[in-house]
Amino acid sequence: MSRRPDPADGGTPGSPGTLASALRKYATAALVSLRSRLAYPTAFAGSLLTFGLFVFVFSRIWSAVYSTQAEISGYDRAGMIWYFIVAEISIFGFSRFYSSLSEDLKGGQVAYLLARPYGFTAYHFSQAMGPALGDSLVLAGEGVLLGLLLGGPFPVTSALQGAALVLSLLLAACLQFFLQFAIAMTAFWIEENAAIFWIYQKLALILGTFLPLEFLPPGAAAAARWTPFPYLSWAPARMAVAWNFGDGLKILAAQAAWAAAAALLCRAVFAAGRGKITANGG
Amino acid sequence: MSVIAVEGLSKTFRTRVRGEGLGSSLRALVRPEYRAVPAVRDVSFSVEEGEVVAFLGPNGAGKSTTIKMLTGILTPSSGRARVLGLDPCKDRTRLAMGIGTVFGQKSQLWFHLPPSDSFRLLGAIYEVPPADLARRRADLVERFGIGAYMDVPVRKLSLGERIRCEIAASLLHAPRVLFLDEPTIGLDVVVKREIRALLGELRSRDGVTIFLTSHDIGDIEKICKRAIIIHHGAVVVDESMKTLKHRALARKYIGVKYARPVNLDLPGLPPVKKTEDAGSFVVDTRKHNLQDVIRALVNLGEVLDLTVEDEPLEDIIAEVFGGRTEAEARRAARAGGGLES
Repeated sequence: MSRRPDPADGGTPGSPGTLASALRKYATAALVSLRSRLAYPTAFAGSLLTFGLFVFVFSRIWSAVYSTQAEISGYDRAGMIWYFIVAEISIFGFSRFYSSLSEDLKGGQVAYLLARPYGFTAYHFSQAMGPALGDSLVLAGEGVLLGLLLGGPFPVTSALQGAALVLSLLLAACLQFFLQFAIAMTAFWIEENAAIFWIYQKLALILGTFLPLEFLPPGAAAAARWTPFPYLSWAPARMAVAWNFGDGLKILAAQAAWAAAAALLCRAVFAAGRGKITANGG
Repeated sequence: MSVIAVEGLSKTFRTRVRGEGLGSSLRALVRPEYRAVPAVRDVSFSVEEGEVVAFLGPNGAGKSTTIKMLTGILTPSSGRARVLGLDPCKDRTRLAMGIGTVFGQKSQLWFHLPPSDSFRLLGAIYEVPPADLARRRADLVERFGIGAYMDVPVRKLSLGERIRCEIAASLLHAPRVLFLDEPTIGLDVVVKREIRALLGELRSRDGVTIFLTSHDIGDIEKICKRAIIIHHGAVVVDESMKTLKHRALARKYIGVKYARPVNLDLPGLPPVKKTEDAGSFVVDTRKHNLQDVIRALVNLGEVLDLTVEDEPLEDIIAEVFGGRTEAEARRAARAGGGLES
């Protein structure tokens, strides 16, 4: 059982408790946050519409491109449309962490959130993941429907491939969160960090979202693989359309390594910036 | 036993100086200038278990900064603070298990969800076992009379309803110390009275130590037993409410109305306000005998009405707050509303 402080106890409060109570804490944060997102179901309409529009426009573009050739760098027309859908699910579903974190930091809310018995990063992670997973689930539903209509047969043909795709999307979500958290926390030093996030977004789009890495010149593709950006969207999209066990495993391992490195980075950035919190008012 | 012990606590913020004009902006890119702003300076006090302390000061005095250092939100520049035997900065997470915080201007409830969801989340955050949480929640819902609001989205609650929910939420984990920063801000008189009664009950029934900042003198008079006044970042008054109020007794406000016009000039005691047939006087009983003053006023003519009132506590505090420097504020505090300043 957790070691909660007893109000009748004159001693110092106990530390936050067991793994089970920690899991309950973060799971509840994710669920409550998801519930808050679901408070306005119509809020999904905007992202559903934009996502649908993007997929439709790019499916037409790729259809035009593939009208004169059957395959480009190993991708056929249907594969390319499914690639784009999966890559966009990852980008659309997990791209909002920065703005809410940044608002919390600039609005001073971070200071108030510190007065709670939780790991600040872990709490934000769970709070952000609840609605993000809800969003991406809805987008995935729409994406599958659009893919069947505009692309072709569902490319995931085995349970193993499906599991690898889901795992890759989850790792992409973690990587997105940790990188965006680290960028948002730079506000401790530079007051306006939107430009950094803008560059991050653009690199994520160029290196694996709009185009598969295989479309880039070999040197650029090789260099991109040494950055985290392809693991945000290229990795899950690749699981969906060009699955094979050996490559899939390597990609998942690289994604996990990048997610772990980004987690360490965001912890370090927060630890270094925490002392700079200035909460004015009153 | 001291639940809060503060020794020589200081906090200095480093603020970037931004001069006027484009030239200054360009210079700042190469060589930014910073100014040290001392928000809290060498503050020392202690609070015993079960005490209800008013922590007062004008805007920008350092109240919130002090509370944020005591709750582990801000790191002190120097000095030492212990809350429930812990260093708030080093043991922030552990300390959070034993304290509750309500910041009147920052909600801890989820805006789009009913309070019941926030209660569930806070219960999980503070690791309250589910059975204890259900019992504690039922008790607080009854005591705070918030049963009807528990399933209404917070955005649809009135401010008074929300604050009641906020305070109840901060007590879910049975904290031993409750930090309240402006809990009654913006509330109407009826709700304020209810909140004060609930806070009083918390102290008497549960023995919770309450550390309260407020600009509302009513809060302070009705709830607190002790006042610490901070001004220009330093403590200028730290004494019991009884002592503070006793100073008010040293100064009496006299109002008098006559049947006919009279000459209201008393030797050594000019009226602060006068008309042909009425006037008001402020009498320092350390300088003037109250009975003599009243007798002199009665002798001036046929009296229709005469009132004698204590100086409002608000005036004394306002006098202290009005000090342009720490020394002036201290002097005003010592003088009991500035009579001897």
